[in-house]
Amino acid sequence: MKFVDEFRDPELGRAVSGEILSLVEPGRHYKVMEVCGGHTHSIYKYGIDDLLPANVELVHGPGCPVCVIPMGRVDDGIAIAHEDGVIFTCFGDMMRVPGSNGSLMDAKAAGADIRMVYSPLDALRIAKQNPEREVVFFAIGFETTAPSTALTLKRARAEGLKNFSVMCSHVTIVPPVRALLESPDLRLDGFIGPGHVSTVVGARPFEFIPADYGRPVVIAGFEPLDILQAIQMILRQLATGRCEVENQYKRVVPYEGNLRALEVMAEVFELRPHFEWRGLGFISHSGLKLSAAYSELDAEERFAVPGVRVADPKACQCGEVLKGVIKPWECKVFGTACTPERPIGTCMVSSEGACAAYYNFGRFAREREVV
Amino acid sequence: MSAAGEHCGSGHCITCGDDGVPMTVVRVDRDRGLALCALDDGSRQTVETALVESVAPGDTLLVHAGTALVRLETAA
Repeated sequence: MKFVDEFRDPELGRAVSGEILSLVEPGRHYKVMEVCGGHTHSIYKYGIDDLLPANVELVHGPGCPVCVIPMGRVDDGIAIAHEDGVIFTCFGDMMRVPGSNGSLMDAKAAGADIRMVYSPLDALRIAKQNPEREVVFFAIGFETTAPSTALTLKRARAEGLKNFSVMCSHVTIVPPVRALLESPDLRLDGFIGPGHVSTVVGARPFEFIPADYGRPVVIAGFEPLDILQAIQMILRQLATGRCEVENQYKRVVPYEGNLRALEVMAEVFELRPHFEWRGLGFISHSGLKLSAAYSELDAEERFAVPGVRVADPKACQCGEVLKGVIKPWECKVFGTACTPERPIGTCMVSSEGACAAYYNFGRFAREREVV
Repeated sequence: MSAAGEHCGSGHCITCGDDGVPMTVVRVDRDRGLALCALDDGSRQTVETALVESVAPGDTLLVHAGTALVRLETAA
């Protein structure tokens, strides 16, 4: 397939892997965080960690949109879904995220009209087809999905649709990365920057990482060679004493991002003063809500939501996994009480979640063999 | 419904909406800012094209949650 096959060439992969080996200093332990859940998924799907020297450790970051939704938000969604006349729409993965009293899937089984959609545009279509019903879209995701929600809201307003609203749980990528860099229990040597978020925000927002924290960042694509090359570029920066933002994914990511997407997001959304992240707690200016100009399409204005903060289950260690402090298999319930079929924590729900990636691709090994 | 949608088998998961998927433009509706796009497996989806300039049939777009974020250049 175009744009795919050329980035899965095993010969080239072995060559890059050899270069990585030549760049690492023996005796030094390297910790590189892949911020984006899409990278986590690719790393375990293709076994990229098996191609790395034993002293290069990949740490999985908080960039999985489903994994970071706290239980209280799920409860809020379920409360709206149970309102009379409501059709509640959301992405498929979101339906299985546990709230304090079951998931949206459980609420659907209990009679709520909850429908899976592939895009906010699908939700808008449902609203047009059901003018007598209130259609709510549960919007989640980073700057990759936020422009899609923003465009749909503009379209809803332009078409004068009165029975459509959005429960906005969009988040932004920079604040949690900064929070991780401030975290005393985590020492990282470099970052693999998120590829598709950067198509929207560009590379510039990540410049604070080398400037303020002295860590290199390489924005990378999602194919195996993309990720290997990004690791090689990070190690080369470390070996040569450079520290900057590099763009491995130039074929897709413009350094300035997508200005139209940023404009439409600025028009439709505004930053919340703070937003709760699962496992990470409240992070300032990290969540988006609808701007005053679009407040009439805000589901949280239209319906009463409990808005209660719910603590994560005691057994669940998603917070430590999301911060990269522990590996998924180090969690007490990993693969036993918590599985993709019956998740306790969010990291086991989405295919981008670190726990689901480990579980689905059979990565149970406690130690890695030296390449 | 399967665990994370049947598309995950191919490495794409448009069910969760947060995976960029390359799609080929089949037909363009300029007035409404939409395009009908096809996946490699032939399945089709209506895609918002407001964020990408002058979309034409045959173009490959990176689509996220039903919105094209960038045009993929064939020469890349």
